Amino acid sequence: MRYNEIYEERRRKVDACIRFENRRAVSTFMGQSVAATHTEGMTLARYMEDHEAGLDCYIDFLERVNREAPIDCFNFGYPGGHQGGLVLSWWSRVRMPGKELPENSIWQVEERKVVEDEDYDLILRDGSAASVLERILPLIAEPKVMEDFVSFNVTNFDRVMLRYCEAGYPALNSGLVITPFENLCGGRSIHVFFRDCYRQPDKVKAVQDAMMNDVREQIRHLPREDYMIGRWVGGWRGASNLVSQKIWDLLVWPYMKEAALLLIEQGITPILHLDACWDRDLERFLELPRQKCILNTDGMTDLRKARRILGDHAAFLGDIPSTMLTVSSADEIKDYVKRLLDDIGPQGVFIAPGCDAPACAKYENLVAIHEAVQEY
Amino acid sequence: MGRICELLVELDEERLMDAIREELAGGTDAAAVFIECQEGLSEIGRLFQEEKMFVSDLMMAGVLFKDIVGLIMPHMKTDGGAARGKVVLGTVKDDIHDIGKDIVASMLAAAGFDVIDLGVDVPPEEFVRAVRENNVRVLALSCLLASCYASILNTVEAVKAAGIREKVKILIGGGPVDEHVVRYSGADAYGATAQDAVDYCKEALR
Repeated sequence: MRYNEIYEERRRKVDACIRFENRRAVSTFMGQSVAATHTEGMTLARYMEDHEAGLDCYIDFLERVNREAPIDCFNFGYPGGHQGGLVLSWWSRVRMPGKELPENSIWQVEERKVVEDEDYDLILRDGSAASVLERILPLIAEPKVMEDFVSFNVTNFDRVMLRYCEAGYPALNSGLVITPFENLCGGRSIHVFFRDCYRQPDKVKAVQDAMMNDVREQIRHLPREDYMIGRWVGGWRGASNLVSQKIWDLLVWPYMKEAALLLIEQGITPILHLDACWDRDLERFLELPRQKCILNTDGMTDLRKARRILGDHAAFLGDIPSTMLTVSSADEIKDYVKRLLDDIGPQGVFIAPGCDAPACAKYENLVAIHEAVQEY
Repeated sequence: MGRICELLVELDEERLMDAIREELAGGTDAAAVFIECQEGLSEIGRLFQEEKMFVSDLMMAGVLFKDIVGLIMPHMKTDGGAARGKVVLGTVKDDIHDIGKDIVASMLAAAGFDVIDLGVDVPPEEFVRAVRENNVRVLALSCLLASCYASILNTVEAVKAAGIREKVKILIGGGPVDEHVVRYSGADAYGATAQDAVDYCKEALR
């Protein structure tokens, strides 16, 4: 299906970049919360709570930045129903602005152990984590939180994605695939879960194998509309600098790889959202099909090294550090982007804030990212 | 490297605990066993710096160290000797992340520091009070959110306003914290890793 000319033109740039056929880097907006913090009269609390106002605010903000320097696409859209999304990702309670936090404070995950030892046996018995999730959800989220999530991300998913298309902006990412390691790390709490990984690795592996049945089902049922470009595969607690090689090889990579391959089978680009440093294991991404994936890094993974190892195997998305967006100058941002492009070249590169732009990112720094791409 | 030290570095929980129990039952001085465990943790810190061990290893080592302390303490004739010094530690106001802070706390404790852990979401005045009351020379601030850099700044300012800035070194750390944040906040240094924090405290409290 064709949407509109601006969208199609930008979409061609995105598709070309994944295939390393682009000549210029792709200027990619990322900032789930910055639209609210840079819009007069909009609190972060209202932005998160009122989905219609929030979505309008997000798209208006894209337009505003685009008027200053062109944006080709965005990474993560307006975070509607975000509390529920985070709850489902982390299996943890999430504190929200205007509720447990002041109106303009960014959301925070409150990790406490909610998955009990016996839940492992339940998952093994069922070959699924559905009943465990059903038990823990009331402990970590009010029913309305999950209703909001479903309303925005399921019931209204198509309508929201079409709003982006109408506005002319391809959405690189249309949702998350969470691997079992990440769910368990949140639900058990990192201290307990890492201990499990050392004390009973085989059991954790069996549990994760059972949980992958749910992931396979989720991927099988994803919409197949033309606007579906990619989907995040996390990548936060399973980072190479966080877990030992043995744990990573056994409990992290096999599941990320399978999720990525399943997405590719569905015609969706896996966007491996890699928080922290993945330098140790960069070679492993060569196991994924060539030019079918995007590695979304946050400034901690060495992209120069990644380019040397991976060549034109996978596109990169990132990686301006959040610290720079907050405390550096626009000139420093531009210098960072240009030096990066000097070293890794523009082919197969989406330039964007690493991970996410923090709510307190300076407006001129956000604009500087897109100016730098244009000027390069 | 002694056997206990070696087993700790291998994170071989079962054999490590058995070995410690054997030594204690055989009459080995508990303080000597404790020192060997500290050596093991120090080696783990070194291997972490060399990227041969990783954060999960540090966390597991921290878990083991707590268990070891529980096993050894009833056998200690003293408190294990004088601590290297006191460090006040906490996650700054409006930030509830505790993982990095907890790793630093256990590494500092294992290295022989007396850690006063104020927890998370700590207001500047609470840091100031703890520094004053305990007469500490190192204040370590953890921060994972870029939106909380202002809390680091406010804490440094509160320490200045209390007239104790020259008496205390302020070390900051956490995922998005780097040299830029040191300059922004007026802290003294940042630690990229838990081992950096240990090394800094050793130097500052020498």
